[in-house]
Amino acid sequence: MAREKVTTLYLGPQHPGITGNMMVRLKVKGDTIVGARTEVGYLHRGFEKLQERRNWLQAFTILCRFCVPEPDPVEEAYALAVELLEGREVPERAKYIRVLVLEMARIASYLLWYGGQSGSAGLYTMGQWSVGDRNYILDLFEDLTGGRVYHMFIWPGGVRRDLPKGFKDKAMKVMDYLEKRLDDYDTLLFENSIFQKRAKGVGIIDKNKAIEWGVVGPPLRGCGIKSDIRIDDPYEIYGELYEKGVFEVHPYEGGDVWARALVRRFEIRQSIKIIRYVLDNIPSGDFYNKIPNPHKWTLPKGDAYSRVEATRGEIGFFVASDGSNKPRRTHMRGAAYVHAITLLENILIGENVADVSFIMNSLGTCPPEIER
Amino acid sequence: MEEKKAQILEKLQKVFPEISETKNDFPYNRVDLRIEKNKIPAILFYLKDEMGYKHLVHITCVDWLEEGKFEVIFIVWSPVDKIKVFVKTFLDRNNPVMDNVDMIWRQANTYERELREMFGIQFEGLVAPKEFILEDWDDMPPMRRDFDTEAYARKRFFARPGREDARDVRQTIAERTGEEIPDFAKKYSR
Amino acid sequence: MINDKNSQKIVDIIQNFARKHSLFVLAYGTGCGAIEIPPTMTSRYDAERFGIRGAATPRQADVLLITGYLTTKTVKRVIRVYEQMQDPKYVIGFGSCTINGGMYWDSYNTIKVLDRYLPVDIYINGCMPRPEAVIEGFIKLQKKIMEGRAEGAKHYKENLEWYRANQKKVLGPTTPHIQEYNW
Repeated sequence: MAREKVTTLYLGPQHPGITGNMMVRLKVKGDTIVGARTEVGYLHRGFEKLQERRNWLQAFTILCRFCVPEPDPVEEAYALAVELLEGREVPERAKYIRVLVLEMARIASYLLWYGGQSGSAGLYTMGQWSVGDRNYILDLFEDLTGGRVYHMFIWPGGVRRDLPKGFKDKAMKVMDYLEKRLDDYDTLLFENSIFQKRAKGVGIIDKNKAIEWGVVGPPLRGCGIKSDIRIDDPYEIYGELYEKGVFEVHPYEGGDVWARALVRRFEIRQSIKIIRYVLDNIPSGDFYNKIPNPHKWTLPKGDAYSRVEATRGEIGFFVASDGSNKPRRTHMRGAAYVHAITLLENILIGENVADVSFIMNSLGTCPPEIER
Repeated sequence: MEEKKAQILEKLQKVFPEISETKNDFPYNRVDLRIEKNKIPAILFYLKDEMGYKHLVHITCVDWLEEGKFEVIFIVWSPVDKIKVFVKTFLDRNNPVMDNVDMIWRQANTYERELREMFGIQFEGLVAPKEFILEDWDDMPPMRRDFDTEAYARKRFFARPGREDARDVRQTIAERTGEEIPDFAKKYSR
Repeated sequence: MINDKNSQKIVDIIQNFARKHSLFVLAYGTGCGAIEIPPTMTSRYDAERFGIRGAATPRQADVLLITGYLTTKTVKRVIRVYEQMQDPKYVIGFGSCTINGGMYWDSYNTIKVLDRYLPVDIYINGCMPRPEAVIEGFIKLQKKIMEGRAEGAKHYKENLEWYRANQKKVLGPTTPHIQEYNW
């Protein structure tokens, strides 16, 4: 047997298997990884500095660029933080519209994940289907907010616009269509033995260490721990919805890529349920609690931290105010901040080189929210 | 929940008499406490191992330039109590040194690297490559309040003609076409 | 081989026609615009009907798509990637932030004007540009190629010193030496 040498392998930043723009430096022995270091910083724009130079409302417009696949949870987190800081009330109708937008964003993000996860296993048909179907959700977004990718819709005090005419019928139609398509996706992806063999037993996260390591969101539920910000630290109307049984949170045992995939498969159906419920039961009334002139709008001195459950896990937003019309400090906590650095470095050891992008996709790595 | 919050503070104050300031009157699940910087690892260890605050939510820093202080904030969360605890401490802005806590939570390493790079806070015993996000940075740490990002950008990068003064677009258009800006628009321009 | 001027013209037309219909785009998501590339490539917008598809490595790619802002750390890699690409090669600047900095006009870490550092053939504006706009931009590029006006790479070669000076200004003196332009 030939002596095996430890080689350094650079994966990224220009690599088709890397999600976004980051680098993983691997130490490999043959085909097995013996060490991994991530290098990030390719997307740092200094948002938090830019927000300090803008007033509270202007700071909101650059928020959605924090995380590209799913910008709405970040807007929601900022709006929640500002509302906590100021004690501003949000009308009931606005809460429903917010939940609607958040769940639509969740579906869109999961559909993109379907494409990424299957693409990294070499199954390209799935990506063609799901990313193509994602356009229907983006069309709904366009109808509602005017933007396809960046919406700038959920702002402090409510939402920017009311539901347009005929939105309910359109949305219901899309949901019916998607529900049918999800069965097709199951046939194509989850019943595919290639995907099953690639996914089972790969990228295992230790259940006992998961919370300590800062695992959140679908990876944590994939470890068999029932944890979701929507029910643990409820915001908007999620607590109410959960009590009424509109949606469920279901953990899967295993901690591997397969379990994480099952969690996402389950949750996309829950989101459809929530959207149906919200569209049926939305109350009438105001959709916006008007803020004063944004150039004179000051927030009381103090700080606030809000948390939102996104598809990658917990997204949090810290804002500190010094009593002026501009934020003193804003700081976002992205789920990928922990997942893509310390967690990824830990769980990659012992895996194959070919599985790196597969595991990264299953963790929902999103570099822009690491570096901001 | 109010009782639980009071209990937590009471328990912590018994073990750590150094806690200087507490705040408990939030209408939501949050407790604040302030402690001197050399007690930070001890209190975080205690919170994690004895009280079940296993999940490190966030580490952040606020620059209070006028007072000459950095405020470092640790946010921890217990999946059982469902309460966020904010552990705050002040650092001297001229000599920002504190103990690192990455033996308690591995992921704290990442946060500390960021704070070291963005604020220049030195964490004693932090083992990590020097550069995290920035590369070949030659100025003061960029998230400090006295760092002027606009001046730096103007010095280092080219600006497209017409964009360098960052003025209101409406004004430029008005000058070009010779129109007056209506009053309502003037009111909101910079 | 071909000395006749008219024959050269015919060869050019055939060559440009061939180039125009196989634009291999380098799969390098340099900024947030990369999120609109999957929809452009997949079933609804289906850019492949214009001959546009992804390529994994710079050496096989024709088009470098700069999807959005470039941070100073990325610009180093992008220049390197661009110089690894082989002729014919084109650069598309994607999004407002490549044109004039966009919303990052006062950011300390992003470059504002892309065409000072790399020769840009086509800009697509918008934040984000829609897939239709992306396809429109590609069609404009194809038209330019057909007319023989997409000569960014030639311009870069001729004005290398000017580009190098600009690149040095942003990358700083401490940056490792960029590989020479040697083919």
